[in-house]
Amino acid sequence: MRDALSISMQASNALVAVLVMVALIFAVLGAAAGETFYLRLATEAMIFAGLALSVDILLGYTGLLSLGQALYFGLGAYLSALVLIESPSFWAAMGAALVAGIAVGLIGGFIANRVRGVYFALITFGMAQVAARAVYNTRAIGASDGLIGVPIVNINLGVTSVSSASPAGFFLLVLAMIVVLYAVSAYMLETPFGRLLIAIKANDRRVPFLGYHTMTVRLGSYVFAAVIATLSGALYPMLRGFVSPELLFFSTSGNAVIAVVIGGVGTLAGGLYGSLLLTLLKSVVGSWTEHHLIVIGLLFMGAVIFFPKGLAGVLRPVVERMLAIGKP
Amino acid sequence: MNVPVLEVRHLAIRFGGLRAVDDISLSVARNRITTIIGPNGAGKSTLFNLICGALRPQGGAVFIEGVDLTGAPPNRMHAAGLARSFQITNLFFELSVAENLRLAAQRLEPLANLLLPTNRSRTALARSAELMERFGLSAKAAYPVGKLSHGEQRRLEFAVALASRPKVLLLDEPTQGMSHGETEDTAALIRSLTKDVTVLLIEHDIGLVMSLSDHVFVMHQGQKIAEGSPLEVRANPTVQVAYFGQA
Amino acid sequence: MAGMLDYIQFVLAPQVITGLALGVAVILVALGLTIIFGLLDVINMSHGEFYAFGAFVALALGWLGLPFWLLLVFVPIVMLPIGYLVERGLIQRVFHTGDRHVMTLLLTFGLGLVLEDSLKLIFGPNPYRPDTPIRGAISVFGIFVPSYRLFMICVGAAVIAGVALVIYRTRLGAMVRASAFDRNMAASLGVPVERVYAGTFAFGIALAGLAGVLLAPIYSVFPTMGRDFILLAFTVVIVGGMGSIAGAVAAGIILTQIQAISSLYISPVWSDPIVFGIMVLMLMMRPQGLFGRLGHA
Repeated sequence: MRDALSISMQASNALVAVLVMVALIFAVLGAAAGETFYLRLATEAMIFAGLALSVDILLGYTGLLSLGQALYFGLGAYLSALVLIESPSFWAAMGAALVAGIAVGLIGGFIANRVRGVYFALITFGMAQVAARAVYNTRAIGASDGLIGVPIVNINLGVTSVSSASPAGFFLLVLAMIVVLYAVSAYMLETPFGRLLIAIKANDRRVPFLGYHTMTVRLGSYVFAAVIATLSGALYPMLRGFVSPELLFFSTSGNAVIAVVIGGVGTLAGGLYGSLLLTLLKSVVGSWTEHHLIVIGLLFMGAVIFFPKGLAGVLRPVVERMLAIGKP
Repeated sequence: MNVPVLEVRHLAIRFGGLRAVDDISLSVARNRITTIIGPNGAGKSTLFNLICGALRPQGGAVFIEGVDLTGAPPNRMHAAGLARSFQITNLFFELSVAENLRLAAQRLEPLANLLLPTNRSRTALARSAELMERFGLSAKAAYPVGKLSHGEQRRLEFAVALASRPKVLLLDEPTQGMSHGETEDTAALIRSLTKDVTVLLIEHDIGLVMSLSDHVFVMHQGQKIAEGSPLEVRANPTVQVAYFGQA
Repeated sequence: MAGMLDYIQFVLAPQVITGLALGVAVILVALGLTIIFGLLDVINMSHGEFYAFGAFVALALGWLGLPFWLLLVFVPIVMLPIGYLVERGLIQRVFHTGDRHVMTLLLTFGLGLVLEDSLKLIFGPNPYRPDTPIRGAISVFGIFVPSYRLFMICVGAAVIAGVALVIYRTRLGAMVRASAFDRNMAASLGVPVERVYAGTFAFGIALAGLAGVLLAPIYSVFPTMGRDFILLAFTVVIVGGMGSIAGAVAAGIILTQIQAISSLYISPVWSDPIVFGIMVLMLMMRPQGLFGRLGHA
């Protein structure tokens, strides 16, 4: 179906394709140079890009600002770590994360979706805070130290196998995962269900009169976003070998929101670009000073005031024209 | 088997001290046009809100095809075959005309189609195209609704309500702000619907009320003051007092 | 019977007093937050950081030798122009966009980040423990009450009463309430709405700063102290009703008492979940909170 929304999504897809091409070149060069640090940094950026994706689905498409997506990211990370410590199976870890994302997402979504707007933001904030404190205080999962000793994982893909120890290999795997998550999200948002989410964001008071129970629809979006976040989180311990309560703290949720705003709210691609940009910024600024948050905070405020559309938001119309599929 | 398609009994709601709808009972005849009239503040839109589930009645009951649906939320009412249009245009302004209609028509598709690509929802897409044709909006299919003229928006408001093939259509001042020509077209459209749809209409244009209505229901300060054919109602002295202050 | 009295005298009552002292400070923070929301329709995510800011400014001025009672007056006054500038310079820029709630939330969130990291930059990440300005304890009806806490309760109650008085009994307060109720109408009646807005925001964060000064000797001072406090403050605002002063007071007392008394029986790790649980229940059952909005009855 060719309408303004589909065209915009196609432009987003094009932007992601560009990103993937650049990433592939980067991976090849990095592997050739025997580089480790930057590949690992880029991998981490991609993992958090998944979290940013989950924030954008809620904020940019359903109109819900979640300040607690880190809850699901951390859930996925911890669960993955626990599974991997028991038995280093990539698919088991991902499977566990998927199930947990659906289950906890339903519970969290049921609580949070009874309200909207500011109240929704505050409830999601509160949920993540409570969960973070709970994890911080639980001896069984390492309390404030977290869990260490996550083993190296060999991911069997049939034709080949990738080890999480290989910087370039694992980077490509994570890239592939995130692209898959992006693709599923882009598909979902183009279905009538996804269009319902967009309708809810556009005018949620009218939607019940079209015959839909908005709370159920929003719950669906919330669970979807939760699963995206848990699956992304599950990749984290494979990269770093440990998990800690910081993953559930507000700063993680906050960073994801910043990435989405800077990258471009409501573009899906924006979360990916924003996450990479943010990681780059943090590492560059972080090399001069420990206080990179001041710079990032100022940049973020600047984006909110002067560039609310974000990077992808500004690029998309350009891409739309370039692909010669202009508006009627 | 002569159950009225829509019936309300002793509906009531108050806002603070104000009795916005006070003991209203109305039985809407199938495939007929029933018009609700009354001076401003009579409670007509509030009555609509009560019927379609936007507001919860504090007293009384709503029956659709004899089934008690009192207090059901709007989506349940919609599932029972009720659709409404709004007096103040309440569409998805950022989205295109075509998308607005497709969203409204999506209910015609099985639930599973929500998760399949949109172009598989052929019935909904066809319905959207059909309505755009009928309401003269095809040329503006891709326009965001916010860019339409007021009259075009009112036509779309009507079309969106009609999209899901409802049994009962509640139209709240559909011709509000329309030009004379547009009003005539809309009236013709309403009349053409009555083969399959029962229409409950709120209108201020007396000419329209007289020419369209099969039955008229007059409200004043939340209460019913008269009911009957258009001519009966027009001759009714109580109605004249309510509107003009004197008989 | 004697055991019961002893229990009340030596266990329960001191806990209630402690809870009251905290409650008064929480109310000050929540008051600022709820006034800012009630009038400006702005969710100030940096409110916790202004609370921390107040504590740090007091700390620094204290090192310079200023006595405590002077800090109590001076710090909020210093924060007023800062708040004024923030409102005029930053918040106004996103105020008139369609999505005001989200935009101001995001903007103030960024501001909070900058504030917090600036505090860390200047003072370092480690906590400071300022001395308790009023040592010792006094006996009130046989109950041992730490003097400083009693002082806090008195000062806090006085300020809260003062705020209520100004809002409901003065011309200034009438202007604030009018601007909250109908901005355009107030403007056409000659109320300098822009200045009222900026001034109200300034006042709100000054209240948070004052709470910071008061609580510093009890909870110690560190850059992320605002973050820990903010959930409780938001819960008080939500339970009391966004924009309601009476609500903030009532909810502040009730919630801190629940915290204080429950910590006698269950481990403090449960206090966050309990507070959050109350917030959720309130939002599910009665989203408008206990009382109405500022300006609206």
